[in-house]
Amino acid sequence: MEKIIEEARIVSRQLVRGQIFRLRLHAPNISGAARPGQFVMLRVCEGIDPLLRRPFSFSRVDAAEGDFEILYRVVGRGTLLLSRLLPGASLSLVGPLGNGFELPLTSSSPLAFLAGGIGLAPLLELIARVISERGQKGAGELRLFYGARTAEELLPEDLLCLPGLRIDFATDDGTFGYKGRITHMFEEAVAEGFGPSEIYSCGPLAMQYNVAKWALANKTMAQLSLESLIAWGLGACLGCALPAATPEDPGAERFVHVCEDGPIFSAGSIKWNKILSQQTVVPTFPFN
Amino acid sequence: MEQNTVTTNGCPDLSVQLGPLRLKNPVMSASGTFGYGEEYAGFFDLRRLGAVVVKGISLLPRAGNPAPRIVETPGGMMNAIGLENVGVERFVRLKLPFLRESGVPVIANIFGNTVEEYGELASRLDGEPGMSALEINVSCPNVKKGGMVFGTDPAMTAAVVRAVRAATTLPLVTKLTPNVTSISEVARAAEGAGSDMISCINTLAAMAVDVFSRRPRLANLIGGLSGPAVKPVALRCVYEVSRAVKCPVIGIGGIASPTDALEFLLVGASAVQVGTANFINPAVMVEILEGIERFARVEGLAELQSFIGSLDTSCLFPFSEDACSFIQSEIS
Repeated sequence: MEKIIEEARIVSRQLVRGQIFRLRLHAPNISGAARPGQFVMLRVCEGIDPLLRRPFSFSRVDAAEGDFEILYRVVGRGTLLLSRLLPGASLSLVGPLGNGFELPLTSSSPLAFLAGGIGLAPLLELIARVISERGQKGAGELRLFYGARTAEELLPEDLLCLPGLRIDFATDDGTFGYKGRITHMFEEAVAEGFGPSEIYSCGPLAMQYNVAKWALANKTMAQLSLESLIAWGLGACLGCALPAATPEDPGAERFVHVCEDGPIFSAGSIKWNKILSQQTVVPTFPFN
Repeated sequence: MEQNTVTTNGCPDLSVQLGPLRLKNPVMSASGTFGYGEEYAGFFDLRRLGAVVVKGISLLPRAGNPAPRIVETPGGMMNAIGLENVGVERFVRLKLPFLRESGVPVIANIFGNTVEEYGELASRLDGEPGMSALEINVSCPNVKKGGMVFGTDPAMTAAVVRAVRAATTLPLVTKLTPNVTSISEVARAAEGAGSDMISCINTLAAMAVDVFSRRPRLANLIGGLSGPAVKPVALRCVYEVSRAVKCPVIGIGGIASPTDALEFLLVGASAVQVGTANFINPAVMVEILEGIERFARVEGLAELQSFIGSLDTSCLFPFSEDACSFIQSEIS
C-alpha cells in the first residue's frame, strides 16, 4: 500500500458541539485511497511545539470530491491549535495509514456498532460504507450504540443520520438516553433478542475492554479500533505498543503496534491484563 | 576559505571520509528512527542517503518495554522502547536483503547484555554482504543491562569496543551517551580500543509525570529525550568530542533542518544522523541533503570536507583601540 505525503486544504471547519469540531479537508490522493478505520497523521503547526504529527481517523470520505472529514475533540495543545485554523489554510498529511476495518463477511446479517465519545468518528464512515455496499433496502439490522459522558458531548443527530441505522444513546450521567455504560445497554439489547453477527467498536480503552470481554465470552467477532500515542505512524518508532495475546504461547511477551498492526484489532489479539493504567490516563489539558 | 571555491558549474563534492569508510554524502538515519529502511522506501530513494543506520539489533529478538513507551515534550519527545527488535538472525534473513538490494550503505547498530554478546553479534555480521560498518550502542538509557551501563564507564566502553574489534574487520562506530560527566573521556577510551569513529549523542535520560494520576508518563519511569530540544546539548558534546579524539565524529541530536546539520559539521562532525525529525517529515533527510548542497554552492565550497570543523573561535574586537581612541577624541 502506497503511503502519501499530501498538502491538504481546509475546506470547512465547524464547531459541532462543546469541544467537538468537524474538519473537512481537500486531499484527493489520500481521500482516494482511504478505507474506513484507517487514519492520517496530521501536522497541526509548522513549529516544534507540538513537535509530532497527530493521528486522526477518517470520519467521512468523499473520494469523488477529493475530500475527507475528521471529527475531533479539543483535548490538548495539538487539537487546540488545529481548532484555530481557518478554511483555506493548508495542512501536511501522511496517510492513509493502518489496516482499517474488515467489512462484514455476510451481506445482510445484523451488525452492532459501539461508539464511546469521539470514538464515533471511524464508525460513521464504516457504517456509511456498509450501507452503500449492502444497498439501503437490504442493509439488514444495523444498530449503533452510542454513548458519552454527558448529553453535551453527544453529537447532534443530523451528523448521525444514516438511512436504515437504528441508534441507541447512552450517557454516564443519564442526561440523555440510557443511563450507564454502552456495553450494558448493548447487553440489554441482546437479552431482548438482538443477535449481531459482528461487532465494530471504538471508544475509551475501558469500554473497549468490556466490549472485548463480551465478544470473547459470546464468541462473536469483534473489531476494535484502538488508540495510542503515535509518533510516526508507519512502524519505525515502535512507540505505540500494546501487549499482544499469543494463543499458542500464553506466557510469551510480545507487542503489537497500533499504527502498523492496527488500529483495528480483534478482541482476542490484545493481552488486556497486561495493559498498564498509564495507558488509560485522560488528558489533563483543561487545567493548563 | 577562498581556496575551495567552485570553479566550474558542477555539483559541490559532498562526500565525506569517515576513517576507513567513504560516504557519498554526510547524511544518514539515526538508529531506532528509521526501522530497517523499508518503512521509508515509499517516500524517497534510499540511495540518496550517505548511509542507513538500522534499529539496534541484539543476538535474540527482544519484545521491548511495556507501554506507554513514548511521550511528547516541548520541542522533543521521550521514548523508552527498550530495544524491541527482530534479533540478528531475522535481521540478516528478512531485513538485510532489502537494504542490500536498495544499494544504500548499511550500518548495523548492535546491542548486547554482556561484553561477549557484542563480540558474538559482530562476528555474526562480519561476513554479511551489504554491511558497511557497525555502530556499537553503549548508550541506550532504557534497558537494565548493557547499553548505558557500559557507555558511562570509559573502561567498560573500551572493553566492549575491544571485543567487537577482535571479532570483525568492519569499520566501527561507537555511539556515546551524553549522560556522563566527561563525554570526551569515554570517546578517548573508545578510540583507544579501536573504534574508527565516534557518534554522539544518544538520548538524554529524562522523565515526565502526570500530576492528576500521580503516575509517570512512561511505563519505564525514565526515557530518552530526543528532538530539537536536545540540539544545543548535542552540539556541545560533538564539539568537545571532536577535539578530544583524532577519529571522525558523527553528530546526532535534534537535527531537523539543513542549518542544524551544518552546525554539527561546523563544530567538527564529519557526518550527521537524523533521528526524531524522520517522524515528522519522512522526506526530511533528502531536504537536509539538498539544503547542504545549496549551502555549499552559495558559500562557494567545492568540497564539503573543507567546511568540517571550520568553526572560528578566535576573539575579534571590532571596536579596536584605534577606533575607540577616535571616538574618545570625538567626544572630547
